[in-house]
Amino acid sequence: MLHLITNPIGVWALSKREIHRFFSVANQTIFPPLVSSALFMYIFGVAIGSRINFASTGFSYLQFIVPGLMAMHLISSSYENTSSSLFIGRWHNHIQEILLSPLSYIEMVLGLLAGGVARGITVCVGVWGISFIFTQTSVAHPLALLYFMVMIAVIFSCAGMMGALWAEDFGMLSIWNIYLIVPLALLGGVFHPLSMLPAPLQILSHFNPMYYLICGIRLSMTNSGDTSLAICAIVAFLLASLFFVATVYLFKIGYKLRT
Amino acid sequence: MRNSETAISIKSLTKFYKKFQALNEVSFQVKRGDFFAFLGPNGAGKTTTINCLTGLSNYQSGEVKIFGYDVTSEYLHSRRLIGLCAQEFNFDPFLSIYNLLVYQAEYFGIPPLEAKNRANQLLERFNLSDKRNCKHRALSGGMKKRLLLCRALIHDPEILILDEPTAGCDLELKFLIWDYLAQLNREGKTIFLTTHYMEEAEKLCKTIGIINHGGMVRIGDKKQILQDKSLEEIFLEITGSE
Repeated sequence: MLHLITNPIGVWALSKREIHRFFSVANQTIFPPLVSSALFMYIFGVAIGSRINFASTGFSYLQFIVPGLMAMHLISSSYENTSSSLFIGRWHNHIQEILLSPLSYIEMVLGLLAGGVARGITVCVGVWGISFIFTQTSVAHPLALLYFMVMIAVIFSCAGMMGALWAEDFGMLSIWNIYLIVPLALLGGVFHPLSMLPAPLQILSHFNPMYYLICGIRLSMTNSGDTSLAICAIVAFLLASLFFVATVYLFKIGYKLRT
Repeated sequence: MRNSETAISIKSLTKFYKKFQALNEVSFQVKRGDFFAFLGPNGAGKTTTINCLTGLSNYQSGEVKIFGYDVTSEYLHSRRLIGLCAQEFNFDPFLSIYNLLVYQAEYFGIPPLEAKNRANQLLERFNLSDKRNCKHRALSGGMKKRLLLCRALIHDPEILILDEPTAGCDLELKFLIWDYLAQLNREGKTIFLTTHYMEEAEKLCKTIGIINHGGMVRIGDKKQILQDKSLEEIFLEITGSE
């Protein structure tokens, strides 16, 4: 990858701009998912979760949903960051500042990606921090957790860019998130283990890619899940590669960027 | 630079917007150090040509080179050589005008310290220093025009492309821009100007090209073109406008 970067100052500048952008509006980008996570943990974890019998798994229901919430907000924050940044760039046409510069298409994607990855991981770690108010959660495999956080952020940052290129107005921008990403994430096991579902739905859930991503975060933290860490890691890598290549391709052909 | 004498070379450039042909086999060259006026009525293909030069538009056929570098296959080289002053105020709304210029310089690979120096120099040159921490929305129309110029010049390009730079400017700003463009041209910059003001082209430019209905209809040295007629008369004759 390094030899593909011919303009490191340019990539770093674009990355800085993207990170500066979401930190400058932290009230809209960082704090809302932390507040909603705290509410989820209180309502589902403390109030309702204490009545769910999870003793056989070796940890509480609250400890089970913390990785799920981390994954869910990692997914949505990464997606929202790149989709809003790129779409606003197209809307105001200041995307030309980047398109006119000597950044390769890979470098453009990497620069925009940096913002999505940084915001996703910031929120994900923030949700984990919030969980300490309610319970103790440890990390069984720190490097695996970092791997999954980066891979998931890459997948959904790229998905956000693809959504931003496809959208013609602000309404279209959120369609993928509302009707596809969030439902698949919720069905992928944010709040429930697969073993709680009837057999046919358990089989069906294995076709949901979100399941492997959420399971990867959960396995990294609790060392307990319905599938193996290696399978989750492979699925995450394949999806990240696919989405990255597809996004670079769209930039290269200038899809809705060049007339 | 691969070809140091020909700044812009366009051969048989053809561009369609769906079924509408915006450019039809357009060919011309602009020499290094030239001050080139690219004239034509609205919809003639001026901005489309600029977009093809800068990589903002794809085109169906032809060849576009900047100092010998193909703008499609060698875009990393060609883009370093061009500064574009667009028609519209397309600035990042999240950034102060100072940060906007610094980031723009850094996108071109200019180290941060030098980028800051250049931003300060340009803001001072265009009397925008006291607005450096403002966002572009706080600027007047004239200030935004100046900011467009600052942004186009921040990486010290060899070619400056200006798409109607003085449209909507008051006289004072128009003269300031004219003086600055003439100075840049004297310093060796190649300037490619589109304008609807004939007196602007007549006063500033050395070479004139006129495009109409997507095709080049006249190109040549200003003195050759303007023999016993004004540019306005010639323009109206060629484009058939009334």
